[in-house]
Amino acid sequence: MPADDIAIVGWGQTPSVASTDLTEPQLCLAAVNDALAMANIDRHAIGFTCSGSCDYLSGGPFVFISNLEAAGAWPPISESHVEMDGAWALYEAWVRIQHGDIDFALVYGSGKSSPSDPALLFPQQLDPYYLEPLGLDPASLMGMQARALLDSGTATERDFAAVAARSRRAGAANPKAQTLPNGAGESDLDIDALLAAPYVRAPLRAHDLAPAADGAAAVVLATPAKARELTDHPVFIRGIDHRLEPHQPGVRDLADSPSTRLAAQKAGLGANGGGVGVAELYATSSAQELILRAALGLGPDVSVNPSGGALCSDPVMATGLVRIIEAAQRVADGTTRRAVAHAVNGQVLQHNLVCVLEGER
Amino acid sequence: MSARPVAVIGVGQTHHKKARADVSMIGLVREAAERALADAGCDWADIDAVVLGKAPDAFEGVMQPELFLADALGGAGKPMLRVHTAGSVGGSTFIYGSHLVNAGIHERVLTVAWEKQSEGNAQWGLAGGRSGGIGAGGAFAPFIRKYIRDTDAPEYIGWMVAVKDRQNALKNPYAHLKIADISIEKVKESEMLWDPLRFLESCPSSDGACAMVVGSEAAAAAAPNPPAWVLGTAVRTELSTFPGRDATRPQAGVDCAHALYDSVGITNPREQIDVAELYVPFSWYEPMWLEGHDIAGPGEGWRMVDDGATEIEGSFPVNPSGGVLSSNPIGASGMLRMAEAALQVRGLAGEHQVEGAHVSLGQAYGGNAQYFSMAIFGSTQDAVR
Amino acid sequence: MTTEKGSASAADEPMVVDDFVALTYHDRLPPETVRFADGLIAGRIIGQRCPQCRRVYVGGKGFCAMCVVVMGPESEIDVADVGVVTGYTIITPVRYYGQTKTEPFVYASVLLDGASSVLGGQEITGIAIDAVREGLRVRAVWKPPEARNYEGHSTRGWGSLAGGIVGFEWTGEPDVPREQYKEFAV
Ligand SMILES: [Zn+2]
Repeated sequence: MPADDIAIVGWGQTPSVASTDLTEPQLCLAAVNDALAMANIDRHAIGFTCSGSCDYLSGGPFVFISNLEAAGAWPPISESHVEMDGAWALYEAWVRIQHGDIDFALVYGSGKSSPSDPALLFPQQLDPYYLEPLGLDPASLMGMQARALLDSGTATERDFAAVAARSRRAGAANPKAQTLPNGAGESDLDIDALLAAPYVRAPLRAHDLAPAADGAAAVVLATPAKARELTDHPVFIRGIDHRLEPHQPGVRDLADSPSTRLAAQKAGLGANGGGVGVAELYATSSAQELILRAALGLGPDVSVNPSGGALCSDPVMATGLVRIIEAAQRVADGTTRRAVAHAVNGQVLQHNLVCVLEGER
Repeated sequence: MSARPVAVIGVGQTHHKKARADVSMIGLVREAAERALADAGCDWADIDAVVLGKAPDAFEGVMQPELFLADALGGAGKPMLRVHTAGSVGGSTFIYGSHLVNAGIHERVLTVAWEKQSEGNAQWGLAGGRSGGIGAGGAFAPFIRKYIRDTDAPEYIGWMVAVKDRQNALKNPYAHLKIADISIEKVKESEMLWDPLRFLESCPSSDGACAMVVGSEAAAAAAPNPPAWVLGTAVRTELSTFPGRDATRPQAGVDCAHALYDSVGITNPREQIDVAELYVPFSWYEPMWLEGHDIAGPGEGWRMVDDGATEIEGSFPVNPSGGVLSSNPIGASGMLRMAEAALQVRGLAGEHQVEGAHVSLGQAYGGNAQYFSMAIFGSTQDAVR
Repeated sequence: MTTEKGSASAADEPMVVDDFVALTYHDRLPPETVRFADGLIAGRIIGQRCPQCRRVYVGGKGFCAMCVVVMGPESEIDVADVGVVTGYTIITPVRYYGQTKTEPFVYASVLLDGASSVLGGQEITGIAIDAVREGLRVRAVWKPPEARNYEGHSTRGWGSLAGGIVGFEWTGEPDVPREQYKEFAV
């Protein structure tokens, strides 16, 4: 593992909304300009830029070339792009800044889910020979996963509803998240109301599934020395790692997330949640949050998704980066000294990223 | 830069063809990866991370195909990352893989880039499914017209490059196009596609993959074959179009080259680099990149072609492998430039080996000639003199 | 999905299955594009002038990509419908699903008077295809008002004139000296 603890010194995110008139480059521009303003640096100080987006989601080839216009690519910049969530763009930038020849890196992730139907789109992300022809949509796969979790005997549908109720209550207090009904509280009354809703894919109900959204997020990374010059409260990336699992859901235990556990170990999270006070997890179903909590060893004392999480707003391709931002925010404002953020790529937790954040020791 | 030395210890590629109907997408990437592992003398378990690159997903009609390909590349339990930087992606994919070693994060990284154009329709993909698509040739033709106008280059220069690269391809067992009777006459008489570009001045559409294993100094010491040292890498990007843009000599290409040369101590690229693999999908891009990367002065690039300097026996050989003009699995084309440049300094290029190659340049570009990825390889860590 | 040929048992004839996928995207046009589109229907070409660098973009994106600053409605100005060809090629159309072009066509970049950004991919009419050249003075050929519409606009690209203009024709004026548009070539 490299020696340098890279710092997060600025971030920005657009509100996540079900549908926006703005183009994806316009969303990126807003997020990037906010992140640079917070870091209080000129864009020309950036030594490396990396973005995350997805052509299929946006509906055209080379969507990242349009999004590049938000990054200020004149004069020419040192730059790369991943066809993944912005969290992986952050990983590539984190690798690049380790070289020691640059002071700052800019990361952004963006996506618009509103133009297309996720149920028709995401089957195209599956093995084209054996899975895509089945037309399995994300909700169906998550339903199978939730069923596997129930069958393992470690969770109930009421646990799912409790996750949803807590997320909605938290999301209602987050101006960047969508406000969803039944978010008033965590009382038995609220949970009963959620449980009265019909199944979308049994055993999951609408509130158990992340609502796709439009949005963008951006982060500025800095070397430790520059971070200390800019702020009295730098947020350091103490460890970051990501691990993949086999693609075929049939060969995996969907009720567990061994790749999350491995990534957490490689990122140096430590046993039993590693003493984090806050966890921001990219769970696209309430069942996934329970699976991720178990894989990370998070106890009941950890505040999970205080932002409301993806169950309130899932700006696909930015959501993972938003988790890192929300966790960093809570380290910066003193809510906790140590936090963990998680991001996912692919269906039913195929590929997981874990990022451990801390304030000054 | 260069926190610690990085070497290319394994190179593999598929036989590139119009349609590799004998293999699935899985089989295609696996074929290249297995060859690279065999060259590196290592097994799947020796690989710490996998990096994949390809051009737009619309070309094969699979969204983020690395998610299903990762299993076949031993990705389970490892980090996997998918790069996409348009035509330069093969180069950027390799460069990111080298940085993982360079930064001390991993010991051995498998980088793979691929395209299976026969699975879909690249013209449809480029046009975003709309009518009036112009293809890459249509996008670049106006830039080429401007280069010809600016430098008064004779039209036969493009034909010469087309012939030279196809003749080189005859020496490369993996190349797609094998036109034994290629000639100036033949190129000149081929159909005009995008004025001034003729059919035989354009790249084919190929299925193919390329894989490279990059490793640390210790990994290089343990490998059975000689390494190619990655002496320096650089990437640069500029906007696709803007007022005042010089599209024939994009500033991003100039900046990328100079950042690279400076990082490895090259002050006279034409003398200090022994061989170059440049991304030349249309014949005129050979002189344009010779000038655009300051290997030749303004208007001197086409004279290098005219003088035969870029032939395999010339003073500055360009694309001894046959280049993109002979094989174009789009996403892999950039990595093939890196792989072939690495093979040259390892002395493993076979029949298209350039005599005495100790320093080589790999280059890829993409988008509206706006994305650049470049690397310098050496037979030793102090090969640049 | 249709099975095209072959069978798994014939070793030398791989089975090829065509899997046609149709995905539908519903675009909501951004406000800049709506104003630009309405302008074309009204017979105007609207540009956006960057408040910082003063460059004028035709088919404004709502921001200047050079300065990375927002350009709102207050930045909008009318641009002339005459200009100069700064670069071109002639495309021999390649066949693919959805392609309706069959004959070679001109693909030209046009710099309108008062604009800083060229409009790419314009068709040039009123002159033989092989007489098209850089420096040619051209004027927009407008659709009749009743035929103007929202054609060509999307959230993935800017500056389509198709809703109001079918192409450009030679004005008959002498060519523009290269020095006057060289900076904007292609
Ligand atoms: Zn400006």
